[in-house]
Amino acid sequence: MGLFFLLCTTAAIAQGDAKRGEYLSKAAGCLGCHTEERKDATPYTGGRALKTPFGTFYGPNITPHPQAGIGRWTFPDFVRALREGGRPDRAHYFPAFPYSSFTRISDADLRDLWAYLRTLQPSAQPSKPHELGLVFQSRFALWGWKWLFFAPGEYKPDPTKSAPINRGGYLAVALGHCGECHTPRNMFGGPKKERYLGGAKLGEGTSAPNLTPERLKKYGDGELKDILTSGLFPDGDVMGDTMSEVVRNTTSQLTAQDLDALIAYLRSIPALPDEPK
Amino acid sequence: MKRSATAVVVALALGVGAGAAMAQAKPEQLVKQRQSVMTLQGKYFGPMAAMAQGKAPYNADIVKRNAAFLDNLSLMPWDTFDPSTKDVKNSGALPAIYEQPGKFKEAASRLENESHKLYTAAQSGDEAAVKAQIGAVGKSCGACHESFRQKQ
Repeated sequence: MGLFFLLCTTAAIAQGDAKRGEYLSKAAGCLGCHTEERKDATPYTGGRALKTPFGTFYGPNITPHPQAGIGRWTFPDFVRALREGGRPDRAHYFPAFPYSSFTRISDADLRDLWAYLRTLQPSAQPSKPHELGLVFQSRFALWGWKWLFFAPGEYKPDPTKSAPINRGGYLAVALGHCGECHTPRNMFGGPKKERYLGGAKLGEGTSAPNLTPERLKKYGDGELKDILTSGLFPDGDVMGDTMSEVVRNTTSQLTAQDLDALIAYLRSIPALPDEPK
Repeated sequence: MKRSATAVVVALALGVGAGAAMAQAKPEQLVKQRQSVMTLQGKYFGPMAAMAQGKAPYNADIVKRNAAFLDNLSLMPWDTFDPSTKDVKNSGALPAIYEQPGKFKEAASRLENESHKLYTAAQSGDEAAVKAQIGAVGKSCGACHESFRQKQ
């Protein structure tokens, strides 16, 4: 009997838990980039345009379609993509795919995410090619970017911090990839680590605000929870589209415990003054 | 109906003098005025959004009143977006407003239209329609903030 259970558990671990994977996919906001912006778009079939100073990237189809999607991938291919930022053919991904963050996702969570993605309805919708400036078209140059800015590996909890703070850190750093927008980048597109979550300009005059205690101290925990579940500030002000969508797809979908953890983590990081305008 | 009547009264009361008065307003004053309108829009929209999201009990009377306020408030910010206000401190307005006036006008009209639809829906008392329309108003706020306002 004991052996039977052991075998079942091992099988479950090896296969991953698709239900948990669905939750993790929300926490990681996969939907945002891998789904078209129109109303009746099929989730995860790709197409969203991500405008960056380096060009426009389109999130690809990640349904299990053998040609249009990732149907021919193996689990090790999936791990290489998220942990190493590499394609099955060993070419490098552009860091528009936030593998600097996703590399911190745990092995167990990668298995569950993979299990979930396998349950999606395969879609034959072709992925759109990226539109990049000439200088940035070479994937080979990405080797240099990775060498400078990419440190692969799972999230390491800080033993001096509480379990909720570490859980929140994992949600913010690994899955939520908050720093991709809220941490400013240097001229090579690498994150300025000393300005972690200090707010960043995003081009076209828009910006992502400071998430360190410097700015968040003006809100109570209850207010922050409301902001992250409603997309509204306490005074009825409505946040911009991009973050509204993150609230809809991700932060409002978190369990109460995870949302508390995320807030506890944001309260624990070093306070930084706003970027000069 | 009510809205056009109000507009007529306002137009009659102000007459042609309004344009001249506007031209003389200091940039700082214009910014203060539009921020006041935005503050009040938030005041009346916030509770409706909470109802639409199921975070507060639905109250048809409050929705009716707030939707009517918002319907009028949604018309008010736009004539304060004068290029003279570009350099006023403590304004979150982005230069894109003056660089892409067509797109900005479109975003402004969207708020006006969605707010008016909400006013109409609130009169009808169809709770599901009202809640859906509150969402549509929120999206028109967010769309404009996305492109034309510095993040808070």
